[in-house]
Amino acid sequence: MVVRPEIEREFETQDLLLNVGPQHPSTHGVFRMVMEIDGELVKDVVPYIGYLHRGAEKLCETMDYRQGIGFMDRTEYLAAFNAELSYVMAVEELAGLEVPDRAQWLRMILCEMNRIASHLMFMGAFGIDVGVFGTPFIYAWREREAIFDLFEEVSGDRMMYAYFRPGGLAWEVPVNFTERVREVLKAVNQGIKDFDGLLTENEVFIARTRGVGAISAADAIDFGMSGPSLRASGVPLDIRRTEPYLKYAEVDFDVVVGQNGDVYDRYLCRLQELRESVRIVEQCLEKLPDGPIMPEKMPRMLRTPPGEVYIRTEAPRGEYGIYLVSEGGNRPYRLKVRSACLSNLQALKHMSVGQYVADAIIVLGSIDIVLSEVDR
Amino acid sequence: MTSDGNGAAEAPAEAPESFEGTIWPDVDRALSGISARPERGAIDVIVHIPREELIRGLRVLRQDEALDFDYLRCLTAVDNEDEGMDVVYHLYSIGKNHNLTVKATLPSDDLTLDTATVVWRAANWLERETAEMFGIRFNNHPDPRTLLMPEDMDDTFPLRKTHPLAEIEVLQGEGMGYTEEDL
Repeated sequence: MVVRPEIEREFETQDLLLNVGPQHPSTHGVFRMVMEIDGELVKDVVPYIGYLHRGAEKLCETMDYRQGIGFMDRTEYLAAFNAELSYVMAVEELAGLEVPDRAQWLRMILCEMNRIASHLMFMGAFGIDVGVFGTPFIYAWREREAIFDLFEEVSGDRMMYAYFRPGGLAWEVPVNFTERVREVLKAVNQGIKDFDGLLTENEVFIARTRGVGAISAADAIDFGMSGPSLRASGVPLDIRRTEPYLKYAEVDFDVVVGQNGDVYDRYLCRLQELRESVRIVEQCLEKLPDGPIMPEKMPRMLRTPPGEVYIRTEAPRGEYGIYLVSEGGNRPYRLKVRSACLSNLQALKHMSVGQYVADAIIVLGSIDIVLSEVDR
Repeated sequence: MTSDGNGAAEAPAEAPESFEGTIWPDVDRALSGISARPERGAIDVIVHIPREELIRGLRVLRQDEALDFDYLRCLTAVDNEDEGMDVVYHLYSIGKNHNLTVKATLPSDDLTLDTATVVWRAANWLERETAEMFGIRFNNHPDPRTLLMPEDMDDTFPLRKTHPLAEIEVLQGEGMGYTEEDL
């Protein structure tokens, strides 16, 4: 068959480069990606990050250990307690501080409550990503608000708490703390039920999310993914279980894993984790002992001997690691924040290529990125 | 607590008795033929590998069945000024649940190293970040662009110790009303 040149030209197609971000509302922060699309199919994704880079690591080198706590809050603002925890644990490990039991239990309660708040934020934002406008977001905000009120009563701040200290806590919690936590948990339980009813078996939601953006366990491990995004692929890596810190060895909880590693599983993992977090907090409240919240003798200015340590904890988005090198003195020689989202985001291209454009947005949402943690 | 910071010189001397119950015997067996030197860290064992043998060593650590380091937790560098730069790898095995820290020291006048992306894809962005922050060149890196810095910022390395901070940042760190004795 002879193809005439004018017809050939007519059918000549070209891939389109589509820029998403940096200020697109569905990118959960300041994130830009350039997608190469062929019709509705994504052929390539090039992510650009760094818009929120503030040099927290370098700044911490000039600040003493207590001042650095505030910077850690700002790296991971949706789960600031978890971020602080890694940092103070690293300092404690180097300085050889014993943390009193009560402080450890209280830290655990606050970290799990923060995980709940963070996962709720994911539920709400993810709902908007898949197109359920409004309702899940408002539901999430309602419960998250209750948790933030509680955090404000405890630490004085709604987001950047700066409440953990190397050695323990800044001050004692309010007298009615346990009752208040129980109150909030009741509301959270209701919120989880609402989400379950709203999304889990919603036919439209399942049609949008099941089988989308799947990643195999081997690939997810190779890309260094962690947290619920990794567990959704069926890898039971939860640092609370594999290398227990605080008092996680003394409470009973399940590590939630998915099967297919798709967007739906990543959602479901987070939903189940909400329930597990509630379980952990309830056990903590029962076991919460009385006692001091700081070691008896604390130096006015904390110094550490030379040494290095890599502390990893399970933050809501995955492994939040602190690599702290000390040369002696009262400030870090080098501080490296291992960001869970940075490693998770690396797999974005792998997960989005071959999907529809609209699905690429859901895939991005399902990793639950916090760009200030990615860029630090 | 162990204090190991300046222990580079005396570490080999105490090595034989101090690695009981750690992962080092296995690592030593796997790394036969590679001149690795162990050091006891606060939590994990640290292994120093010369940079010429580093990638070979990392590949062995990943492929060895008893070690099975399939997960790269973290990759970064530490600027030790006159003593060169350390590139630090934090490895983890999901199946075996053990950790290892690997270090390679680069001389200050030749900051090049082979890429570890051939061992773990996770190393890709971490190496890009390390490269732009410290000026270390990773040979054969598949995507050697900047990650967090602007694309044209290839002559400034913010995390080096020689890179100055603005005056205000120095003042913030040194303020807080502490006297010299306190610091």
